[in-house]
Amino acid sequence: MSLKSGLATFVGKSTHTLLHNILHRGGTSLPGKLATKIDPNVMQSYAEKYDVILITGTNGKTLTTTLTTRVLREKYADVITNPSGSNMMQGITGTMLTAKLKDKSQRPIALLEVDEANVEEVARQLKPKAFVLTNIFRDQLDRYGEIYTTYEKILKGIRLFPEATVIANADSPIFMRGELPNPKVYFGFNHLPATGSMRAPHNTDGVLSPTDNSILRYHFMTFGNQGYYFSTTDDFKRPALDYAVTSLNKLTPVSSNFDIDGITYQIEIGGMYNIYNALAAYAVGRFMGVSAEQIQHAFSSNAQIFGRQEAVKVKDKEVTIVLIKNPVGANQVIDMMKTDDQPFSMLALLNANYADGIDTSWIWDADFESLHDTGIQAVATGGERYKDLYVRLKMAGFGDHPVYQDLQQIVPAIESMPTKRVYILATYTAMLQLRAELKQQGYIKTGMGD
Amino acid sequence: MAEYEINAAHLYGDLMNTYGDFGNIVALRYYAQQIGIDVKQHIVSLGDDFDAKSYDFVLFGGGQDYEQMIVADDLPKKATALQAYIEDYGPFLGVCGGFQLIGQYFILADGTKVNGIGALSHYTLNQPDGRFIGNVTIKDEVNGLEYHGFENHQGRTFLGDDERPLGKVIKGKGNNGEDGGEGLVYKNAYGTYFHGPILTRNGNLALHMLQLILERKYPQVDWQQKIATITPEFF
Ligand SMILES: [Zn+2]
Repeated sequence: MSLKSGLATFVGKSTHTLLHNILHRGGTSLPGKLATKIDPNVMQSYAEKYDVILITGTNGKTLTTTLTTRVLREKYADVITNPSGSNMMQGITGTMLTAKLKDKSQRPIALLEVDEANVEEVARQLKPKAFVLTNIFRDQLDRYGEIYTTYEKILKGIRLFPEATVIANADSPIFMRGELPNPKVYFGFNHLPATGSMRAPHNTDGVLSPTDNSILRYHFMTFGNQGYYFSTTDDFKRPALDYAVTSLNKLTPVSSNFDIDGITYQIEIGGMYNIYNALAAYAVGRFMGVSAEQIQHAFSSNAQIFGRQEAVKVKDKEVTIVLIKNPVGANQVIDMMKTDDQPFSMLALLNANYADGIDTSWIWDADFESLHDTGIQAVATGGERYKDLYVRLKMAGFGDHPVYQDLQQIVPAIESMPTKRVYILATYTAMLQLRAELKQQGYIKTGMGD
Repeated sequence: MAEYEINAAHLYGDLMNTYGDFGNIVALRYYAQQIGIDVKQHIVSLGDDFDAKSYDFVLFGGGQDYEQMIVADDLPKKATALQAYIEDYGPFLGVCGGFQLIGQYFILADGTKVNGIGALSHYTLNQPDGRFIGNVTIKDEVNGLEYHGFENHQGRTFLGDDERPLGKVIKGKGNNGEDGGEGLVYKNAYGTYFHGPILTRNGNLALHMLQLILERKYPQVDWQQKIATITPEFF
């Protein structure tokens, strides 16, 4: 370690001690910020000590990282990981600087969630052993973002390390673009026979074949543009899978029971997208030598998984709060609600601040219409852009319904819903306002990210 | 089956629907249903023929640059039929990329010139530094109505002498940030940079479009009277 990076490490660690032990504040970004100021390459000396695995993609990074951490800890004493949201260089630097290792005899693992645009920078410093690619969907938060541009950014990082293994979601056709010499591990779904020939629905992004830009067809689709795709103009198709979901056994809004390679697993969280996250965690686990039994154990351990959804009791209502930010995500939440066997109500909250995405057009791509054939009993809309959602749901055939512009009315709003189960879909800042209000009224104890 | 129906062609709807453009069809369908009319959506995409006689309304939305290039390659096969449809007063709505591609040409951020189908006379230049992003309000000078939307475009579009803007910019940038115009009207063809989608947010415009469609297809019926019974949404 050079003198400079020694000093950087010292400053980083003591800043963390100060924040954590004296000021009692958590915080991974300030130590990283200071250390990086002193030595921009401070991480390189750390990289050699760890097996580094980077997880990236537009959706599912956080839950995949959480689940994979659990899986790897079945076998490895030291698996460090960055808190969700600290997924750029500074946060990652902070995580690595402040890690405390238990077992000096075993090589530690750094399992890191990385923002798509930061993959190149993080990879350059940390020399990853593997890249895990979850998916790439159009994200309203990234206003210039085209899915191909996003993927190009990820590729730049991967190209630096041709010997690193790429563990990719093969159901996402975009990951078949660009030749990579790297060893590959593919995961995906094989729960249906490969017989159909369908086109993706009209509002699906990324359905062009990487070989000739013809429109792909699918034997079956899971969600978004994912599934068993094939070309009708040449022999391009989804590659053979190393790890596959072979059966969906029972899906509810709060649990998913499925088989991977013929063995049954359960996670205590609903939503097809979370099965993809579990499958990615499984693939990384197997890649790192974790056994199927150990993964089963990791998945079934009872600790609550913090995903995009959170269960809260408000008076006699069972409330599920879910973050929405783009059409693919919203459609997944809609699909999750459909697995509820009880009657439910939906309260949808829309803001259009910078962190939500200032363009609300995406709500028209979310398939609210498909909720008609479910147990839905009532809808209501709210948030700063309640009018947009009000008209969206009205045009989706839900008629006139209550609106709540001011989230201080949220508790009476929840109470007035006719069912015991209430789903609240909220964009990022609407979620913060909602949680602040519920916290103030004593329905939840912690703030987000505490 | 309803007595009357509207067949809507969603041009490249599986490639060009980046910002909720499909909402325009949702809005038309919502209003049409109130007077007992079905709206059927047909995706006309790569390699498909565009048969002008089969459609009463054409929506051409925006896409990512990548998809837009693929579409530009396919468009010449549909150009003659689309041009004839527009000249024959076919109701058309082009949004963002669809607005640009129905014109002469556009220039991408990197300077590449992409030919449109040339059905209309406007053309689109690029913008070396930046994009026009934000909420936009315009005033339709024909009827005095205000329209609301959200714009997000790198292109700067300039209309030809035979085209008029859809409205005068009150807030935002509009077609090019220079001449104060937003969108275009030529016969029954409309173009706009409004995401948001324009017909969902601006009910009066949606009803006007509905009237154009129905009067052209079923001229024997008094549509104005029926449409007057519908309450338009505006936000
Ligand atoms: Zn646009």
